[in-house]
Formats: sequence, structure tokens, C-alpha cells
Amino acid sequence: MAISWYLLVSAAMFGLGAIGVMVRRNPLVILLCLELMLNAGNLALIGFARMWGNGDGQIFAIVVMVVAACEVAIGLGIIVALYRRRLPVDVDELKELHG
Amino acid sequence: MTIHLSIMLWLPAAAGALALFLPARLARWTWLLGTLLVLAYSVVLLFDYDRAAGGLQFVTDELWIPSLGIHYALAISGLNLVLLATTALAFTVAAAWYLWDDSVERPGLFALLMGLAQTAVMGAFMAQDLALFVVFFDLMLVPFYFLVVIWGGPDRRAAILKLFIYTLVGSLLMLVGAIVTGVLAADGGAPSFLLSDLADFPLAGGTQAWVFLAFALAFLIKMPLFPFHGWMPDGYRQMPIGVLAVFTAILSKVAAYGFLQVAIPLFPDAAVRFQEALMILAVASIIYGSAMAFTVTNARLILGYSSLAQLGFIVLGIFALDTRGADGALLQMVTHALVTVALILIVALLARRADGSEDIRDMGGLAFRAPAFAAVFLVLTLALLAMPGSANFVGEFMILLGVFETKMALAIIASIGVAMAAVYALRLYITTMLNRQGSQTDSKEMTAREALVIVPVMLVLIALSLVPQFALRPAQDGTRESLAAAREVIANDDSVADSRVEARR
Amino acid sequence: MSVATSAWLVLALPLAGTLIIALGGKYWHPRAAATIGTLAIAIAFVFAVITLINLQGLPEEERVVTSSLWDLVNVGGLTVQLGIYVDPLSTFMALVVTGVSTLIHLYSAGYMKTDKGYVRYFAYLNFFVFSMLLLVLAGNMVLLIVGWAFVGAASYMLISFWYRRTTATAAGIKAFVINVVGDIGLVLGTLFLFKTIGALDYGSLFESVQVDFDKNAPELVIAMLLILVGAFAKSAQIPLHTWLPDAMEGPTPVSSLIHAATMVTAGVYLIGRLHPLFEWAPTAADTGAVIGAITLLVAGTIGLVMTDIKKVIAYSTMSQIGYMIMAVSAAAYVGGFFHLMTHAFFKALLFMAAGSLIGAMGGEQSLDKMGGWRKALPFTFRCMLIGGLALAAFPLFSGFFSKDFLLYEIAERGGLYWILYAAGYIGAIFTVLYTFRIIFRPFWGKPCEQAVSLEEGHQWHAPEPFNPANGEVEDTDVGFPGPHHNYAEESTSMKVPMAILAFLAVVAGVVQLPYEITHVLGSFLEPTFADSLIKHTQNNGLETFGLVLSVAISVIFIPIAWMIWVKKPGTSARMQQRFKALYELFSHKWYFDELINALVVRPMVWMGRWFKNTFERVVVDGLFVGGPTSLVKAGSAAVRSLQTGLLRSYAGLLILGVAAALLYFLIRAA
Repeated sequence: MAISWYLLVSAAMFGLGAIGVMVRRNPLVILLCLELMLNAGNLALIGFARMWGNGDGQIFAIVVMVVAACEVAIGLGIIVALYRRRLPVDVDELKELHG
Repeated sequence: MTIHLSIMLWLPAAAGALALFLPARLARWTWLLGTLLVLAYSVVLLFDYDRAAGGLQFVTDELWIPSLGIHYALAISGLNLVLLATTALAFTVAAAWYLWDDSVERPGLFALLMGLAQTAVMGAFMAQDLALFVVFFDLMLVPFYFLVVIWGGPDRRAAILKLFIYTLVGSLLMLVGAIVTGVLAADGGAPSFLLSDLADFPLAGGTQAWVFLAFALAFLIKMPLFPFHGWMPDGYRQMPIGVLAVFTAILSKVAAYGFLQVAIPLFPDAAVRFQEALMILAVASIIYGSAMAFTVTNARLILGYSSLAQLGFIVLGIFALDTRGADGALLQMVTHALVTVALILIVALLARRADGSEDIRDMGGLAFRAPAFAAVFLVLTLALLAMPGSANFVGEFMILLGVFETKMALAIIASIGVAMAAVYALRLYITTMLNRQGSQTDSKEMTAREALVIVPVMLVLIALSLVPQFALRPAQDGTRESLAAAREVIANDDSVADSRVEARR
Repeated sequence: MSVATSAWLVLALPLAGTLIIALGGKYWHPRAAATIGTLAIAIAFVFAVITLINLQGLPEEERVVTSSLWDLVNVGGLTVQLGIYVDPLSTFMALVVTGVSTLIHLYSAGYMKTDKGYVRYFAYLNFFVFSMLLLVLAGNMVLLIVGWAFVGAASYMLISFWYRRTTATAAGIKAFVINVVGDIGLVLGTLFLFKTIGALDYGSLFESVQVDFDKNAPELVIAMLLILVGAFAKSAQIPLHTWLPDAMEGPTPVSSLIHAATMVTAGVYLIGRLHPLFEWAPTAADTGAVIGAITLLVAGTIGLVMTDIKKVIAYSTMSQIGYMIMAVSAAAYVGGFFHLMTHAFFKALLFMAAGSLIGAMGGEQSLDKMGGWRKALPFTFRCMLIGGLALAAFPLFSGFFSKDFLLYEIAERGGLYWILYAAGYIGAIFTVLYTFRIIFRPFWGKPCEQAVSLEEGHQWHAPEPFNPANGEVEDTDVGFPGPHHNYAEESTSMKVPMAILAFLAVVAGVVQLPYEITHVLGSFLEPTFADSLIKHTQNNGLETFGLVLSVAISVIFIPIAWMIWVKKPGTSARMQQRFKALYELFSHKWYFDELINALVVRPMVWMGRWFKNTFERVVVDGLFVGGPTSLVKAGSAAVRSLQTGLLRSYAGLLILGVAAALLYFLIRAA
């Protein structure tokens, strides 16, 4: 199978994820969309790895997964903390960082 | 090659760092001890410096950043010898002043910041490398930022922001100028920022002009000179008084020194080209500062604007581009530093006796029970107005002499400032010390502690008045070297003009 | 002892006195301070005499001794030494200064007895004498300027001696600033000379002036005119004279010492000192002579109408110094310095007598309130009369010989100098009138309340101490006059100097009698002025004419004064009515104060206010601070507005950025 199909799927996943990050306001969903984008990257990496016939890309993908897992753990922790403090679970309301 | 300058340079910062970890009382003493050691060092240097030989002595020169050709180069020259001693004295006085001023919380941190400031100032004076000079010059501002933000007056934030932004603009311009100078002088080869190397490769005329202007602007803002003094009134009002004493006395001199040490020797063509512009600015500063000084009523601001006028004289002397004028300017830098240190602390003394107010309208009759205080204040006032007989007069006289040789009209206009100085200086003295007593005032004699801080400065000033030659002798060699290139340019211009006249005939 | 050593000691003693008294401060017993101060000056006088004797011991052409201690400045071709220049002229001045000062110290010891600032007073007074000696002994222009300014500062401190009086502090700053204007003139003149001659010591200046300048060269004339500004400011010549009358705010002995006998003659000394330069710039010298003549007339007219007794004497001083300035500028050196000496004696005496009178009046200085003091103050009256007769150039008194000799020497030059001669004799008429006004009005007529009280044996005191200038009530602590006003009759230390001066005021004329009967002063000063380009020859007819004129003026105008102020007391009021415009002009002092106010002071104040209220705000704060600051602010505001805190917009921007980068690489690849 030509590499282009893998890339197309990957691009579609990435686009969906990006749109989700931009349009959704629930941090949980945003986190999920981020995962989608990361996995789009993973897919591309694995596709390329297969094309070149070596395992480097797969190792990268595994590292990205580990990082993603850490990120999800932290992100979920923050969301839980938000619930506990009864703050709105809406990223538009959470803008203390504005200049 | 000696390590002495490095020790002297970093000693204040080290003493400050030590003070940070000590209890309040001990921290103050540590700070004072540090400044005293530096003072002792500088006095030894004053007598150890070989006046007959002149030139750079006690040189320290290490390659600091080899790839950029930046050197850690320090030296004592005729230009900075006396200024360093003055700096050491001014900081010692400030340290002694805070020994008994309990209003300062966290004296350890205060000492550290003041120590850093002293190191930066002395570094700027000693540096023989352009990049090093710029680093120290910009470093000076940092401790003052924190000193004002933490210990300043009620409106300190706005004031310091103004000061910081304004002087930073100047500093950035200077930084750009320094980089351009170094890069262009290297001309693709290995760069070197040593002043002596840079002076051998003068920039082309056009570049020189704007690089010079960048440096000049930085110096003029730091001094400040009219009309770049916008940060001064607010800054002066908000600074803690001991900090202000050092700031006015010393920092302005670093800028004036910058002209002699960096701007004129490196950019002689531009210096000659902008000579008149800067001299006119200086004269405007003299008149403007004097007129403001006899109009405003805040005692600090009277001194601030008087500094504006005095710095006008200093710049005038430097840009006469005549060695006598520059010698006078150098002497004036020293005497003005001494006078302002003492007088700004006198303002604090006045405020203590006038219920905390620094407005001269709230004072009056303070001499009533304080004859010794009045006498000290009067001597300093007469020095401020450069009465003949004081070293300040010798400085002013030589400045006028230098200017007179080149630009007679400017010398005559500048001399109006001398009369105006008499008005504002005496106005300050009379409205605070004489006349009927103000309702909120309490005429108390100077305490022994107050006297211990201020009287030594006065005595140094009197000694210098008796032998101004002591400061002028080393200055002579320094200014001759610093102005040599510019004088050559003038001489060439003259001979070109002469040959043109010849040709026409 | 060599000439130089004794001259240095003359200089050192008053300085030592100042330091000893000042450093001891309040720990000195007042009497001790007075003793130290007086002794220091008296010994200085002795050394001045020794200097004189030693100097006379030298051959005539060697009577210039210079000596220096160390270099004050020695850079770039500019050399200034801490050095002195001793010749007959400076010795003469040193003698007059120390001599009169000793007597005034003695007088002050009594006059200021109850003042709370007694110790400080003597420190100031010694400092003044030191400064004046520095001025006259200085060996170069810079040191002269130093002495010049020190004298100004000492004068300032003494004028403002009663520093809680606002009138005194205002007068002090006025005197100081006008003197600084004079200093500046002197400095600029010196710079002009230095530019061409390249040296600042007298010897080089005198030698080089004829080499380096053409006669009456413009640069030299400008330089000498600027130096004249210095002389005018110090010697209270028009238009820089307005400080002198105000300076009468100081204690009366101060007026006597500084504002009559010594300091104000500094300008005369300066012109005499620099005579080789002035003679080489005749335009400048003539200007000086004309200004002197104008001053002597203007001051004489004002003296006629002032009501404050001290101010009358002050204007009289101005007028007499006008004579001297006119004389030395017109190369009548011996006459000028002869008059300087006799004037020092009789004017100091007049002020002392006036001080005693004011003391007896309880601090009141207005002539309008005085009257009939002859019996209550016999000694003061006699001194006043002797001083007055000498001032009015009454025959055979010292002033008679000195003034006539002065005018005679001027007339000898002929030509337009005759106008100055005439002005001098017109001025003499004013002199007689105002002098006898201050004798007749306080001492004749109906005894005033204070005089009656004193005749009955107790001195009158105001119920509350007050400031005679504006009537403000004050206390008697430090900064105001003491509780008791002293007068001569009760104080030996006041009487002795007055008696000595009275004697001198009568006989001092013998040093230079007409027709060269005696020629002591002339031959003593001869070495100094030997290089003068203008030679005087004896002209008996001219001298006789002057003497006759002078006698005639005395004989005619003293009776007229008697008529106006004693015989028919209403006369002066009637004359004020008749010549109202003139009277207004005189009593407003020819509107010089108003003129200077309008031309200098108010524009300056206005300029300062405009700078402060408008320029500083609009240009300095608005343009120069506002410019860079608002630039930085605008930049930071732009960046700040991007940081919304909205996570989603950050994400959007990030994606946009990545997309842009991708697009860039795509386009480059293609």
C-alpha cells in the first residue's frame, strides 16, 4: 500500500483533533482531541517506518505514547482538581493568564 | 599585571553578599567595613600611582570571551584615579549614614544591592574594554531599581518605571553602538573590544557620527543633561536619601567620564562634528537648571536641578576639546560629587528638623540653636555655588578658560549661570537656616553621628581647595591622551581651511 | 625678618584668629573671643608696620617682593601660585586695613557686648580682615579673585549677621549676588587677558601688556571694562551700587569697617593695582572715571533726602568712593589713595558715632525721630562733628587736603578732565549739605524723648525690641540684636578707638600737604606708580584755586545748612514741596532698584516659573520622557493584547503559525 494513504488518514485525524481543540470548551474533550492529534503523528511515524523498513519510527511512536500518557495523567489530574474546587470546567472561563 | 584592582572591584559586592547572611546590626558594620577597605585601597592607589609616568597602571588584562575578543581589562589611569577615590568616599559615607538609620528594613539586602552598585560603578570607571564598560554601565541600574522599589517613597513604582525605561532606552542605544564599533573595527578579522585596539581603527565618518550619537544619548540621559532629565524629578523624590546621595554624586559622573574615556577617543571626528551642538546643550542645561533650581521648593529638587546646571559645566568643559577645559571638568566632577553627597545628606538633616518635610517653605530659622550645623551647611553652600577659593571654582575657572579659548560667546553665556548659582544656593541656605523659625521646625544641633558622616566630606573638599593640583596633575595626562585624537582632527581641519585660503590667494 | 615673611604673617594671623575662634565656638568666653580677635588683628598690624619698615629698607627699584608657597594649579600652561605681591601699594593697603580693623574690633567689643552672637561675630570679623588682606596681598589675578570673593562672602555673613531678620537676609543675598556679578566680570576680564598674554601673575601682566597689545586695543579695552565691572560691584558704583545702602542692615561696626573703610575701597585698589593695564587702555580708564563722577553726584543727591542716618552715611560713602574711582581711573593715584586713607579714618569715625547715637536711641535709626542730643551725648557729638568736618572738607581737616589734592591731580591732566574736576566740586557742595544734615538734625533742636531720658540718667529702651527697618517686633536671642544697646559714653572700648580715629581724622592730612610741603605718601607710593605713563608736574596756581574754592564751599554752605535744618526747621519740607519731582527722584534713589528689578530680577523669576510650569511639563516630561516611554508602552500593549488567556485562541494561533511555516517550506520546495 502506498504511503500516501497512511498519511491521508493521519492528516485527517490531525485535522479533526485540531478542530476539536479549537471549537470545544470542555477540557476533557480538548484533552481527547489532543490525544487524537498525537496519534495522528504516531500513525505517520509508523507509516514512514514501514516505508523505510527500519524500527526507528516505531521507537519514536512508543516514546510519544509514553509522553502522551504522562500528559493525560497530569491533564486529568488538573481537571479533577478543577471539579473538586467547583470551578467551571470550561477553558474560556479559565483565563487568569491574560496579559 | 596585578590582582589588586580585581580585589578592590569585587570587594564591595562580596561584603554585601556576606552582609546578606548576617543579622541587621552586623550587616551594617560589614557593609561599612567593606567600603572602608575599598576607600583605603583607593587612597593607597592615589599615592602609589606614578604621576610622573602617567598612562595606564595596575593593569589587569585577561581574555574573557575569546571568540568575541572581549577582555576583562582593568586599569588605573589619570582619568579615573581621583574619580575612584571619590566613589569610594561617597559609598563609605552612604554606608556610615545607614549605620544609624533604623528606618531601613532588611539591611543585609540593602548592603548587597549597594555593594553591587559600587562594584558596577567602579567597574565602569576601571574598564579598559568597551564591552566590559557597557556591561558595568548597564549593571549600575539594576541594584538601584531594587533599592527604589523596595525602600523608595510612596510613589516609587511610577518613578522607577520612568527612570528605568528612560535610561534603558539610552543603554540599548549604547549597546548597539558598542557592537557596531567592535564588529566594524574588526573588519571581518578577529574582533577585539579593548579600547586601545579600537582607538587604532577609527570608524568611517558617517558611521562614527551615529554611533557617537548613540553613546552620547546614553550618557546624556544618565547624567542627566537638559532636556533629557525628565526622569530626574520623580526619581529624586522617591529614592531613599542615602541612595540618592550616591546616585547623584557618582552615577552622573560615570556618564561624564564615559565621554572622556570612550566617546571622544573612539569617535574623534564625530566629537568634533557635534562639539558645538553639545556645548550649546550644556549651556542650555546651565541656564535651565539654574532657573529651575531657584524656582522649585523641594530641597532635593533644588539640588537635582543644580546638578543639571553643574553637569552642564562639566560637559561644556569636556567638549571645549581643550585639555584645560577637560582638566577643569574632571576636577569639577570630583568636587561636585563631594558637594552633592554632603548636601543631599544635609537635606535629610533638614527634614529631620522640619517634621519630615523636604519643602523649604516649611523650614526656616534652623540655624537658631545649631551654629555648627549652620557653619557646615554654609561652607558646603559656598562650595556649591563655586565661590572662588573653593576647588569647585578652580574647576569652573578652568572650564571657562578652556571654553574661552575656543568659543568665547558660550563662555560668557555660561558665566551667567555662575551668578544664578549664587541665587539658588543662597536661597536654599537662607530659607532653611535663617529668617524666622517655621512653625513645625525644631532647631537641633547636628548630632555627633550626623557630623561624623558629613564633616569628613567637607574636610576633604577644603583640602582639595588648598591643593587642587593634587587632582589636576594626574588628570592632565589622562585628558591629554583622551583628547589627542580630537585635537588632531581640529588641527587638520584648521590646516585644511588654511590651505584653502592659501589656494584662493 | 624678610619682607615676605612678615607679609605672610600679616595674612596668617587673622586666619589663625578666625579658625581659633570658630573652632572654639560656644566654648569660648565672649571676652576671650573678643580678645583673641582683636589681638590677632593688632599683631597683624604690627607685622604690617614691620613689612613697611623692611620694604623701605630696600632700594627703590627693588621694592616689589613676591613669594609663593605652592602651586594651586599648574597644568597645560596655566600656572596659579599661592603667592603674594608686596610693594608699597599693597603694604599701604595692608596698613590701612589692619589699622582701622584693629580699632573697629576694639569698638565692636563694646558695641556688641550684649549680643548673643558675640563669638560668631568676631570669627566673621577676623575672617573678613583675612579676606581683605588676601585681596590686597594676592600675587596673581586668581588669588585676587579669591580674596575678592572671600570679602564678598564675609560681607554677606556680616550683613546677615542678625539672621532672623528677613530684611537682613534679603540684604545679604542681594549684596552677595551683585558681588558675584562683579566676580564674574573679573573672571571674564582675567580670561581675556590670559587669552592673549598667557599668564596671570601681576609681574608678567605688567611686563607683557605693552608688548602683546596695541595701545587701546579692543580686546584689552573689553578686558579692562569687564574688570571694571568687578571694581564697580565691590565699590558700589552705578549701576551696581544698590546693595550698599541695604547692607546697612548689618551691625553698625560692620558698616563702619566693611561698608565704609575697607572693603568698598577694593575697587579703588584694583584699578590702582592694575594701572599699567588701565593706562594702556585709556578708553576703559576714562569710562571708570566718568562712572565715578556720575556716582559721586547721584549718591550725593540721594544722601540729601534719606531719613535713615546709616543710609545717609552709606550714600556718602558711595559718593566718596566715586571720587576715588574717578581719581585712580584718571591716573591721580596719590590723590586717590590719599583720600582712601583719610576717608577710612573719618568715615569709620562717623559710623562709630552714628552707632553710638543709634545705641542711645534704643535702636532707632530714623533722623526724623532724633533731636537735641548735644548735651546727652557730648563725646559722640564731638566725634560726629570732627568726622563731619573732615568729610565736608572743612579747611585744615584731613578730608580738606585729600579731596583737594585728588581733584587737583585730575585737573592737571587738562582737557575734558576739567569736567570731572567741576563734578568733584559740585559733589563737594552736596557733601557739605548732607554731612551737616546728619549733624544738625540729631544734635540740635528740641531733645527727643530718648535724649531727655538719657539726660536724666537712664537709657531709653523700646518697650519691645523691634526691627528699625520695618518695625517688626523681635526678641533679643541669637539672630537678633542683644537686649542692651551700647553707646560710647558708657563704654571705654568704644571711646578709645573713636578718640584715636578723631585724632587721625584731624591730622592725617599732614602726610601730603599742598605745594609739596610734605610729600610722604607720594614718595612712599612712588615706586609702585613709577611706570605710570602720566606724569604730574607741580602747578601752584591750580592748587591755590582748588583750595580757595574748597574754603568757599565750606564757608557758604555750612551756614546754609544751618539755616535749613536749625534756624528755620520747616525749610526742607517746603523745598520738598517746591521741587516735588526732584525730591521723588532722589528719595526713590533714582529708581535704580526698580530698574534692576524690571530688567533682571523679574524676567529671571518669570523665566524660572515658565520653565517650571510650562516647559518642564510640555517639553521635558511630554516630549522627551513621553516619547520613549509611550513607544515602549505601545509596544508592550500590542504584545500584551495577544495574551488573552483563552486557551483556544492560543491553540488557533499555534496552528496558524505551524501552517504558515509549512506553507513556507512547501512554496520553497516547489
